[in-house]
Amino acid sequence: MIGILDYVWLVPLVPVVCFVLAGLFGKKTPQGGGYIAVAGAAIAFIIAALASIDYWTSDYWANNQAYTVDMTWMMVGTFEINFGVYIDSLSCIMMLFASFISTLIFIYSIGYMDDQGEKKTRYYAEVSLFLTGMLGLAVSSNYLEMFVFWEVMGLCSYLLIGFWSFTHPEGDEASFRASSAAKKAFLVTRLGDVCLMAGLFILMYMVGSLDYADIFDNAAILADKYGKLLPVAILLMFAGVVGKSAQFPLHDWLPDAMAGPTTVSALIHAATMVKAGIYLIARSFPLFVQCTDVMVIVAVIGGVTAIYTASMALNNMNIKRVLAYSTLSQLGYMVLALGSGAYMISLGLEGGEHAEELFLLGGAAFTAGVMHMVNHAFFKALLFLGSGSVIHAVGTEDMRHMGGLRHKMPITAYTMLIGCLSIAGIPIFSGFWSKDLVLEAAFAPYHHGFGDAGTIFLILFILGMITAFMTAFYMFRMWFMTFCGKERGHCHGESPYNMSVPLIILAVFATLSGLLMLAFKSFGTYGVLESLAVGFGFEFPFHTGGETIVQIFKEIPTYIALVLAIAGIGIAYKLYVATPYDEEAFKPENHGALYNFNAKRHYFPELYNWISWKFGAGIAGIVNAFDKHVIDGTVNGLSNSACGGGDGLSAIQTGYVRDYAGLVVVGVLAILAIFALIFLYGGGF
Amino acid sequence: MDIPILSLLVIIPLIGALVTLFMGGQRADKAKYVAAVFSAVILVVSLFLLFSGMKNDYDFSQFDESYIWFQAAGLQMNIIFAVDGLSILMVFLTALLVFLVVMFSWHESDRPNYYHALLLAMEVGLMGVYMAQDYFLFYIMWEVTLIPMFFMISWYGGPRRHYSAIKFFVYTHVASVIMLIGIFAVVFGAQAGVPGIEYISFAFDAVRDNAAFDTVFQTFFFGLLFFGFAVKMPVPPFHTWLPDAHVEAPTGGSVLLAGVMLKMGSYGIIRICLDDKIFPNAMEFWQPIMIGLGIFAMVYGAYACIAQNDLKKMVAYSSISHMGMVLVGMGCNSVIGIEFAIFQMFAHGIISGVLFMVCGIAGHNFGTRDMRLLGGLAGKFPVYALFMMFGFMASLGLPGLMGFIAEFGLLYGLWEYLAANNLHALILFGLLDMMLTAGYYLWAMQKTLFGKETDKIDLSHCHDIAKNEVAVLAVLCALIALFGIWPTLAIDFIMPFAGAF
Repeated sequence: MIGILDYVWLVPLVPVVCFVLAGLFGKKTPQGGGYIAVAGAAIAFIIAALASIDYWTSDYWANNQAYTVDMTWMMVGTFEINFGVYIDSLSCIMMLFASFISTLIFIYSIGYMDDQGEKKTRYYAEVSLFLTGMLGLAVSSNYLEMFVFWEVMGLCSYLLIGFWSFTHPEGDEASFRASSAAKKAFLVTRLGDVCLMAGLFILMYMVGSLDYADIFDNAAILADKYGKLLPVAILLMFAGVVGKSAQFPLHDWLPDAMAGPTTVSALIHAATMVKAGIYLIARSFPLFVQCTDVMVIVAVIGGVTAIYTASMALNNMNIKRVLAYSTLSQLGYMVLALGSGAYMISLGLEGGEHAEELFLLGGAAFTAGVMHMVNHAFFKALLFLGSGSVIHAVGTEDMRHMGGLRHKMPITAYTMLIGCLSIAGIPIFSGFWSKDLVLEAAFAPYHHGFGDAGTIFLILFILGMITAFMTAFYMFRMWFMTFCGKERGHCHGESPYNMSVPLIILAVFATLSGLLMLAFKSFGTYGVLESLAVGFGFEFPFHTGGETIVQIFKEIPTYIALVLAIAGIGIAYKLYVATPYDEEAFKPENHGALYNFNAKRHYFPELYNWISWKFGAGIAGIVNAFDKHVIDGTVNGLSNSACGGGDGLSAIQTGYVRDYAGLVVVGVLAILAIFALIFLYGGGF
Repeated sequence: MDIPILSLLVIIPLIGALVTLFMGGQRADKAKYVAAVFSAVILVVSLFLLFSGMKNDYDFSQFDESYIWFQAAGLQMNIIFAVDGLSILMVFLTALLVFLVVMFSWHESDRPNYYHALLLAMEVGLMGVYMAQDYFLFYIMWEVTLIPMFFMISWYGGPRRHYSAIKFFVYTHVASVIMLIGIFAVVFGAQAGVPGIEYISFAFDAVRDNAAFDTVFQTFFFGLLFFGFAVKMPVPPFHTWLPDAHVEAPTGGSVLLAGVMLKMGSYGIIRICLDDKIFPNAMEFWQPIMIGLGIFAMVYGAYACIAQNDLKKMVAYSSISHMGMVLVGMGCNSVIGIEFAIFQMFAHGIISGVLFMVCGIAGHNFGTRDMRLLGGLAGKFPVYALFMMFGFMASLGLPGLMGFIAEFGLLYGLWEYLAANNLHALILFGLLDMMLTAGYYLWAMQKTLFGKETDKIDLSHCHDIAKNEVAVLAVLCALIALFGIWPTLAIDFIMPFAGAF
């Protein structure tokens, strides 16, 4: 105990102070406030690290308790809504990786955004505010507080996607695209958010509080008492996840969100904000497990998202879009693992002879989901920053104009290669461990014959396997197209040090974070599991890192996945390195309907437009016409007939109050007469 | 209290109005200084009121004032002023907005003495409405607000100002006459023929103490009063005066109209209709209607917003949508519903101030508020864009800002009502409203601020916001953030009143 834990509220507060400082005085400082943002993120990271160490050495950790401090935020009737902190190891892990990666990305931004002039101030202020949202989300002690930070992130995402929504360097068309993308991102996630808010209403109605502690304590009672309402609440909350973490069918905003600066894509749309949904599921596990059936839906959504979005990355030409689809697909993996884990734990809670085994496997699945979230943050941030470095050097996002860049920008090329190996699931690299655990989690319910949904999970497992193959293929397709073969565009050479150093650091973590999490207790798999023990109030059976590694190499699916990954890389090599580059092969008209259907994102943008037209502008037009002609028409008609026809209102526009007063008297008399009639008819008082 | 603080809140603006009114000719340009001083004094007095109530555990009874005005023909009119959890925030809001409007319209050059006299006269009426505890006084003050607003629109308005002004006047006046019938009914109904009553008093308390109406009477006269107030709020289908009035009204008039005058309607409903001594049984009939109308207003207003091209007309319709939410809260008739209805009245008062000022600036800086002509303003006018975004985000209920607290509380109150009455699915309309609200604001921002800079109007001579406008908007935005982050600050004032429901 060193007492820093009591100051953990500083973690989200420091960046918001930087937001204000950068916003007000950023223009006067070098780099438009960039150093303020970097300093804020770094300080937040240091405090988060000290507080985490403090937590991990405290009695709270030893007794599986969360550290909580609450103060009343407001009274809603008799309900108290709090504002406070809730620290368990999940919060710590969340704070740590978010602030660490943010620090690196902010440092990288100083190089990347160097040429943006006055706009830099806006950028650094907004990313600082964003960091507040992310860190606040991690330390929140109740759902409403979490929702506040959740939406703050949504706002920053909107602002930063639209960073170039006016005066875009590439011209007006591009600024229009950026502003459209920002709007789409906000509205689509808003759809999830309003559902989440409705879920919170139901929770508050059932429990009378939104504090995590209260809700988790009462979760079992709720399931008995509100058999119908609870699943609805959980589904609505999950809808919030679907919006924020861009799961099918609300996934289509994320590819468009790539219109923002690449650093923003790396920070918000890969490493942190889109993880908020995953964090929500992980945080709400004690509640979510009360509904077995809903958890199957969660897993299905995750599995479907994983393969569906991976398929769209297969033939995309835009380097950032490929990464965006891959982010979607990996998020699907996480949701799949968490859904499967919650499913098994919920079966375990019903008791029976397998309960212990179910808790073990369910806990492992939960760990897998969270671990993949952390690992993904590292390797995807690395990949995005790498792509940013490439875009910075080449000036385009189109991979057809890249090629052969590894000679000119070796640091970028080989750090990105590490990222690709990691995401493809090649052993030792971090992605291998967590992806394997995710697939195992999906396989477990079928493998061990738990529950009625075994077949569904078998299918999900197969989908996951195919996704693993696709992932390896499209990632290496991207790497080969960018860095191998002949140079097809113009390249400025390697990026400056403030960009390449963060890449190297991230590459180290993308390699090692998986092993680190298996090796260390506090911020590793045991720590993740401890958050379940805090929520549920009992300890979960646990495999140590060593046991887990042995386990991984004993299972056959591990080798199947590995073979599939290598096959994917091999095919990518065959198609994009061994075959000489042929421009014709990349033209849509030389391909079949399926290729183009895929390239058109399965017409999802059109679907969204159609829906928003149908339920927005379409109805609005009818309402407006009704308002103008029927309601206002009646009003004007009445006044015309009262004033003797013609253009009544304009005819009496004489400008004299006397006339209006006369008019009013007429009206009053009429009403009095009606009133008297009603009065007489009704028989008096 | 020796100094009659509450009377001062009515008397000071009255004096101010008279002084500025007679500052014609050469001195007209100085009227703004007079108006500024007077409105600043009122703001200080209202702040004093606020803080001394805060120190006194949110009890304002020490400020109560009661005088007999006149007794004649068996009737007694009183001048009774009091503030409580329902009115104190409205009083503060009135004082704040009038002061800020004076600051905002600093460069008004068209007959500035009349302009400021009208503003201060409006303040007299508004303060009176929110503090009066006597039906007669309440009605007089209600009408007093009407006349300055009428002249404000018809003298300082846009091209169709006469049509709008008359429509505003006739519409709301007819409604207030119907309201008057309701007032007479409850005043006489409660006291006529009751033994021991010498004079029939118009005081709120006299009516409350003697009211014992049967359900039919309650239901009917609740209806009349409700109609009178609902037109003011306004509730569709009695709303069409509002967009027209806003479109034509000058910015200052719009700010006061949306910020505090609409709230007179909801204030009246809470103060009179929801008084369970006068109308204990009426809600059985009216509650579903109020909830239904409120939901309708929310969604209808939001849809109407989407179809608007005039920025100001869109904001006007959004007022209808947000006041629909207040109606829903009042319809719930629960602690939460009333608490957040009042909070929303306060929040919307401040937020709509920002919104209408932003629209006004578009009108006088760029020469048009038509979104089809505007575009890409953010590049050239970043400060303007910042305030517009802030106002829109606050209005669409972004957490951390005031609008969210109100929206969350009101929709939760609605949910509680729906769940108790087995109408769970209707909450979907609330969610739809939230989606639509985000939709029209985002769309409006895209059309006006982002994308290609417009070539349909000449922006080369346009300047960004003036300094006085920046200051005013910054104050309002700071308040929006303050009460959004720290809602208890306002809720503590409301709770002593709302807790009784």
